[in-house]
Amino acid sequence: MTSLAEPGTRAAEPAGAPPDRHRNGQRMRRGALRRRSTLVGWSFILPNFLGFALFTLVPVVAAFLLSFMNWDAYNPPTWAGVHNFVRMLNDQSFWVALENTALYALGHVPITLALSLLLALLLNKKLKGIAFFRVAIFFPYISSLVAVAIVWNLLFNPSSGPINQFLHLIGITNPPGWTASTTWALPAVIITSVWKDMGYYMVLFLAGLQAIPQEYYEAASVDGANGWQKFWNVTVPSLRPTTFFVLVMLSISSFKVFDLIFVMTGGGPGRATLVLSQLIYQDGILNGQFGYASAISLALFLIVLVITVFQFRLQQRREN
Amino acid sequence: MAVTSAAPVRASLRARRARDRVGKAVLYVLLAALLIVVLLPFLWMLSSSLKDNVDVLTVPVQWIPKDWVWTNYRDIWSRIPLAGYISNSAILAVTITFLQVLTGSFAAYGFSKVRFPGRDALFLAYIATIAVPWQAYMIPQYVMMQHAHLTNTFWSLILLQAFGAFGVFLMRQYYMTIPDELTEAARIDGLNDYGIWARIVLPLSKPALASLALLTFVNTWNDYMGPFIYLSSNNLWTVQLGLRQFIGQYEADYAMIMTGSVISILPILVIFLAGQRYFIAGIATSGLKG
Amino acid sequence: MKRLTRTLAAVAGVAAAALALAGCAGSAGSSDSSSGGKTLTIAVWDYAETPEFKALFDAFHAANPDITIKPVDVPNAADYESKVTTMLAGGDSTDIITVKNLTDYSGYVAKNQLLSLDDVEKKLPADKLAGLDSYKYKGDYYALPYRTDFSVLFYNKTMFKDAGLADPENLTWDEFAADAAKLTKGSGSSKVYGAYIHTWNSLVQGIAAAQNGKDLTNPSYGYLKDQYDLMLKMQKAGDIIDFGDATSQSLAYQTVFETGQAAMVPMGTWLIAPLLADENAGKTNVDWGIAPLPQIESGQPIVTDGGPTGFGINKASKNVDLAKKFIEFAASEKGAEAVASIGIVPSYSSDTITQKYFSLKGMPQDALSKKAFAPDKVVPDLPVNPNSAAVNTVLNEEHQLIMTGSKSVDAGIKEMEQRVKSEALNQ
Repeated sequence: MTSLAEPGTRAAEPAGAPPDRHRNGQRMRRGALRRRSTLVGWSFILPNFLGFALFTLVPVVAAFLLSFMNWDAYNPPTWAGVHNFVRMLNDQSFWVALENTALYALGHVPITLALSLLLALLLNKKLKGIAFFRVAIFFPYISSLVAVAIVWNLLFNPSSGPINQFLHLIGITNPPGWTASTTWALPAVIITSVWKDMGYYMVLFLAGLQAIPQEYYEAASVDGANGWQKFWNVTVPSLRPTTFFVLVMLSISSFKVFDLIFVMTGGGPGRATLVLSQLIYQDGILNGQFGYASAISLALFLIVLVITVFQFRLQQRREN
Repeated sequence: MAVTSAAPVRASLRARRARDRVGKAVLYVLLAALLIVVLLPFLWMLSSSLKDNVDVLTVPVQWIPKDWVWTNYRDIWSRIPLAGYISNSAILAVTITFLQVLTGSFAAYGFSKVRFPGRDALFLAYIATIAVPWQAYMIPQYVMMQHAHLTNTFWSLILLQAFGAFGVFLMRQYYMTIPDELTEAARIDGLNDYGIWARIVLPLSKPALASLALLTFVNTWNDYMGPFIYLSSNNLWTVQLGLRQFIGQYEADYAMIMTGSVISILPILVIFLAGQRYFIAGIATSGLKG
Repeated sequence: MKRLTRTLAAVAGVAAAALALAGCAGSAGSSDSSSGGKTLTIAVWDYAETPEFKALFDAFHAANPDITIKPVDVPNAADYESKVTTMLAGGDSTDIITVKNLTDYSGYVAKNQLLSLDDVEKKLPADKLAGLDSYKYKGDYYALPYRTDFSVLFYNKTMFKDAGLADPENLTWDEFAADAAKLTKGSGSSKVYGAYIHTWNSLVQGIAAAQNGKDLTNPSYGYLKDQYDLMLKMQKAGDIIDFGDATSQSLAYQTVFETGQAAMVPMGTWLIAPLLADENAGKTNVDWGIAPLPQIESGQPIVTDGGPTGFGINKASKNVDLAKKFIEFAASEKGAEAVASIGIVPSYSSDTITQKYFSLKGMPQDALSKKAFAPDKVVPDLPVNPNSAAVNTVLNEEHQLIMTGSKSVDAGIKEMEQRVKSEALNQ
């Protein structure tokens, strides 16, 4: 596990800064130091960890145990072995939802990442009224979900919505049916969610940009770097921890997506926008098959875990 | 910049200023265009909040209300106890944000600046739980809360949401960008880890603290499912729960929902404007050199 | 740094103080028990905006002053079932669970969550309680009804007159389509449609099953073809509002009807109460009536789909006797009077109640409306079956595919049969 550590520890340090950690000599002292730093480390983590372990970790582990049982939430669970997993592999809806979730993530993650970074760069300036623009970009994220779902559905209205009217105007005679079409419903949902989320991640990028010491840019200017070179040689590497964070969070939240799709299309038409979280909700809470729903959650969890570990490793390799 | 004669400098300075002005103009135009796209749904919300319910869902979209129903903004306070809902939301959001920022930044220091065995495995466990959809464990969680007799109290939501892994992860990533020389130097000056956290790391991470606080506040403020599952008494309800009352079994009063939504955005707006000054280029870095 | 610390301390102080006085929204109607008597808790949805509960609770309290009812309020009707499931899973001891529909009921009884109400049922006049039969499960009753809704045809009298059409009495579905074609006029945003079929799958599948005497939990759906063909034909001709448009507009049938966008709307009797309310508040002046639901053939008894809403007792309740007293009251004539007074159709039917109902301000007084109010047979959309929630999920998905034209009727029906078998019934 230790190998997964250190994404971007030294990202903001100018290349070639001397490593200065292992400076201590004697072994005896090192053992004592290690014990001390373990104590200190835990003392920092503990306040958060207590709440986290009790109220998140324990229920999560309980849910995973349930995936090997039959449970209707009312009567005592009974052992089911791998039955739920066998059923899952034969469940057409599971594969449909998995495919939709993956497609959603493939669309949502790169577009949101690129747009939010672009917006952060654009708005990380001293300009008159910049606060206003920042709030505006953040607005979609704070608008009520019900409003967002309704208004985008109206915009996507197949026969008389503004989007299709515009497409007509520029000569597209047979515009897509968007949320009423099995092929275009997922793109419609992706567009809406990118629009909604980009302000959120922009805020994270803005905070990340603030961490870049101005001196780096000055040093690059002295070396005669132009704007583009400064971006590639200073901004991008210095922003790596933030980018990594955004990428991980964005991937995880894409795989877990629920709210927006649920209120916008409810998974329809048919199963065109059915995603894994909704399937879990449907089979668990609505149909009362918590064991089976937990099995799907475990599968979703493992998929996301693999992706996250992969991202960690990639990040680490880049650092070395 | 090593320049020897003065005249070309002035000329190039002038040229650059002109270029900056053009750049700025282009930027403003770009931002204005962006603004329209981004604010469109909000404008729709605003206009719907000033309509009769029957005029809300019309096609083609009616951007300007036919009749301006200003009374919506008066009536909503008497149709539902909105003021109470707002203060409930505020209590929850402030408490949860405060605890999340405090414990999150504290734990993040342990995960980024102190080395000890098992640290990274523990951190991975943190991140991993973010990957589990809440729908999967909300029932086990509820059963626990019920046994602790905490359902239908604010405590249940505070305990569930204040110790999230998100804040720890965010702050850790940010602390990673603070050079270790800085903390080492402080250690040599005689500060212990708690002192380093409070005096060096915390002041340096204002932009990250501000963004964590802002995002946590917004998420709590807009949360629907959490309060929905845990709060059963009307006098404990939050704004998001209160507004859902307008969606009935067979019909929905969208005009009132939009009126309430516009009102419920205002507090977030204030928070954003207060917090965003920490995102102004340049201020955060001043502490790094010195 | 000091300033930051101080600010943090201040915030913590304020938050702690606020928590101490937690709960600021003055109770919006929930009657907190104060007078030493007994308290009964009932899970309901959206108490403030669903007046039938308050009407019923107040009437009960008036008849039993020593018993106070405390609603356990679920803010959103659409998510009521999720919340109740969660509550019951946690061992919640709320005495009475309002049973919103038969699908939810199937879930509760399959999971053995409600107490048997046989002894209460024996005290009730079974012949007068519409919808009672639907609650019978393996010979026992686990909930008893207080209101029963069924589908009727709401129609706009003015538009029928203007088109020179006779009132829609004893229509067949083909005649319904023909009338709709004649009533459709205009174009663009001022277009008036002959009819509006709301997007729910029950409005095609449930009605067809009821009128063909079939059961939707039995995966053999050939009988749905005619109804789907008719709907698609009308949709293609532009006589009903397009399904895709309706979905993307989150179209509200009440608005469609009140604003005269459609002349006929097949819908449950629950639409009557809000129509009366809007009429009396001056929000609409639509001249409306109700007619029996169109049938497959003319001259046959009127068969429509519908079902009861009722109350059941939570297994974990500690006030079983009180709860039974309330449930008996809700199903009785007194309970019926209370809900009828606000335009809700009670399960208990008698001439007195019908008279009272039709004397409500704004109710249509014509003979056709009265006839529509007494269908010959009311059949539930989905019978009580442990798998009905899962069956309905599949049926609804395929319904959307057929109505948006993503799948042909035949392919859709075939898919329904296969998927219900393999996914919902696990055969």
